[in-house]
Amino acid sequence: MSDNAESPTETQKDEPSTPQQPTEDLGTADEKKKIDVLLKAVGDTPIMKTKKWSVEKGRTVQSLSQFISRFLKMEANEQLFIYVNQSFSPSPDQEVGVLFECFGSDGKLVLHYCKSQAWG
Amino acid sequence: MADDKDVLRDVWFGRIPTCFTLYQDEITEREAEPFYLLLPRMSYLTLVTDKVKKHFLKVMKAEDIEEMWFDFEGTSLKWHYPIGLLFDLHASNTALPWSITVHFKNFPKCDLLHCPSNSVIEAHFMSSIKEADALKHKSQVINDMQKKDHKQLWMGLQNDKFDQFWAMNRKLMEYPTEEGGFRYIPFRIYLTMSDRPFIQKLFRPISPDGHTHTLGDLLKEVYPVAIPNDDESKRYQVVIHGIEPLLETPLQWLSEHLSHPDNFLHISVIPAPSD
Repeated sequence: MSDNAESPTETQKDEPSTPQQPTEDLGTADEKKKIDVLLKAVGDTPIMKTKKWSVEKGRTVQSLSQFISRFLKMEANEQLFIYVNQSFSPSPDQEVGVLFECFGSDGKLVLHYCKSQAWG
Repeated sequence: MADDKDVLRDVWFGRIPTCFTLYQDEITEREAEPFYLLLPRMSYLTLVTDKVKKHFLKVMKAEDIEEMWFDFEGTSLKWHYPIGLLFDLHASNTALPWSITVHFKNFPKCDLLHCPSNSVIEAHFMSSIKEADALKHKSQVINDMQKKDHKQLWMGLQNDKFDQFWAMNRKLMEYPTEEGGFRYIPFRIYLTMSDRPFIQKLFRPISPDGHTHTLGDLLKEVYPVAIPNDDESKRYQVVIHGIEPLLETPLQWLSEHLSHPDNFLHISVIPAPSD
């Protein structure tokens, strides 16, 4: 995996940028390099203040998961589970761009996150 | 369906003769002999290499043992990819046995996921099946199954029990007759000469006007480079389970018969050997 966001020192500059305004895209006019992600909390997991994010296609699920954990100020030993379609947990090295292509709807990828296993 | 069922068995029982050699820099109390094993194509490295670990543990001290991982000619082998895929992608045109190097130190966490227990493998396997069914049936079939049915799929894989596995898996291979096939085909195309891990997109087995899509149609749509032009020689091999299926093969048939137990068609596109 060559995703630079995996290594702790580089996560700062790899933050998902522009919250809430998915149209605010700094990419080229041709192929959109970012996709819109909507984060939904499950159960009593804390709700993110900002739910809509513009994320680079090549960003991995693990990288996004780490971002959410930090945003929610979770402990190092706390786990976070991410779900697509409220049915499966994508592999940590899966790219969000691929998930968006296959499971996106209404122009965005909805991801549910939970501190405990929600859908097994 | 009689001949087709034979294909299912051939796929399930495919094996790769492998030679495991301990990495030269590992600390041993005496010389480590290589270990030979027939690896099931349809399983996962960490699920079937307990014997490998036991063998090398005999010549090592406990304090020198961390999480076991494998490489082939310098490429770290991802345990969460099926074994057959790893071989087709990295070692297709090399001599048998497949020579894998075993490590117990310096786990490459940028390349590999950790695998602390079999339950991690089970979770990954079940997630793949669920993702595949989300594409095939909008998750209806997998959701209609009970927890014990899901467990049967995993146990079938773990214990190499073809009948136990397929008693459940056949339900995931069904579709409404009027549809002619699954909603979308679960597939991943892996390329050796690319920085992205694989290609995965939505692709229907039947076109809107009723035309049956073939492997060639899929490649033309998502990776046309793999298909040779009439006048040039073949640059790439398109490999599934160690064979090159004809490009005219219906994709729906491939999905039903040549998928891995995780219900995905894992397709390798590798450079054709130049002899």
